[in-house]
Amino acid sequence: MNNIVEMQHIFKKFGLVTVLKDFNLNLRQGEKVVIIGPSGSGKSTVLRCINCLEPIQGGKVVFEGREITQKTDLSVLRTKIGMVFQHFNLFPHKTVLENVIEAPVIVRKTPKDEAEKVAMALLERVGLADKCDSYPKELSGGQKQRVAIARALAMNPQIMLFDEPTSALDPELVGEVLSVMKRLAEDGMTMIVVTHEMAFAKEVADRVLFMDQGVIVEEGVPKDIFETPTHKRTQAFLQRILH
Amino acid sequence: MNLDYSVVISKLPIFLDGCLVTLEISFFALLLGMVFGIGGALCRISSNRFLSGLAFLYVWIIRGTPIMVQLFILYFGLPQLGIKMSSMTAGILGLAINTGAYVTEIIRSGIQAIDRGQIEAALSLGMKPYQAMIRIVGPQAVKVCMPPLVNQFIMTLKNSSIASLVTITELLRTGEQLIYTTFRSFEVYTVVAVLYLIMNSVFMIVAGKLEKRMERQ
Repeated sequence: MNNIVEMQHIFKKFGLVTVLKDFNLNLRQGEKVVIIGPSGSGKSTVLRCINCLEPIQGGKVVFEGREITQKTDLSVLRTKIGMVFQHFNLFPHKTVLENVIEAPVIVRKTPKDEAEKVAMALLERVGLADKCDSYPKELSGGQKQRVAIARALAMNPQIMLFDEPTSALDPELVGEVLSVMKRLAEDGMTMIVVTHEMAFAKEVADRVLFMDQGVIVEEGVPKDIFETPTHKRTQAFLQRILH
Repeated sequence: MNLDYSVVISKLPIFLDGCLVTLEISFFALLLGMVFGIGGALCRISSNRFLSGLAFLYVWIIRGTPIMVQLFILYFGLPQLGIKMSSMTAGILGLAINTGAYVTEIIRSGIQAIDRGQIEAALSLGMKPYQAMIRIVGPQAVKVCMPPLVNQFIMTLKNSSIASLVTITELLRTGEQLIYTTFRSFEVYTVVAVLYLIMNSVFMIVAGKLEKRMERQ
């Protein structure tokens, strides 16, 4: 059993507020985990602790068998962990193509023409090759998020973290982003997805975690979580979401 | 009414010499002021308490005291402590220190106006903090900073007239010396004002063009 990510006894505080309380999560290579839960339950924080955008106050994170410590080169670590944000966070002063080649060229020192070739292939994959010379402001939300996915994939990460990737989108644009993510899942990418898209969770997830107040309340295969949730808080949450 | 511009017009080359000195002071003060300002802003947002405290002190003192007093301390005060400099050096340095404090605030607020998500996206792709600053935050902050910076540059050019008080013969002092011999205060001062206006207008036009060009990107 190869765990790509192990989070052990994580404590995370923002000031006096404890966001993660003794949080544990193991993720196998190729596994797809969906995290659901009410806002403020710490879902996004879990993702942000994995790539060290947030420092933790207790516990440890192990990535590919190595514990992340003060000495870990965060730059190298983060190239292996792709992240997609709720608000896309594309670089507005760069074209779509420039957004995608930025990290390979600057961080990995890939020659520009080579990086562009890879980038075009990725943009093709998310269906946006024709937009390569556009600026982000000229794209729809769904297109922006697909570019953001291509940008993260350009570093050839071992795992992809999705932080509510469709929450900022108009309803009719959600599908195009989810279908890109589904294809990524089919290709075997290890993924953690924080989302409210229950249909996506049912279809793609190997495991669903329901989080509330900084802990995992309940976890299991999608069928069990969605059809026969055992915990009261899970039942209440699903009722609110599904109706 | 007894207006006679002929004397003043005949002395125009002298005025233009004054303009050149004004431009010279302003140019070097701006250049140095930008260096102080960029350094100050980087210190100000640094997580190092000492550096950010130092930058805070700099901005606080300079913004809270008159530029004329600052210049007098530099030129008339410091020699008492054994630090002497030429009037030109004192003028440029004083103006630069003053400009730098305001530029520090402009650049700091420009950098902080950029969405935190931009840095996070850059870091999550493996960029180092300095790379994120230079490649991602910097170019966006420049756009935000442009209008207030242009404003500050105009202020600096006008403030350079204070250098006349430490015996630098820039545009204003050139005019004043002319008044001693011609007694034409109104004519001289209005011509001086028009010359300042022309210099600033040229600058505003260039800055406006530059802003438009950046807007298009």
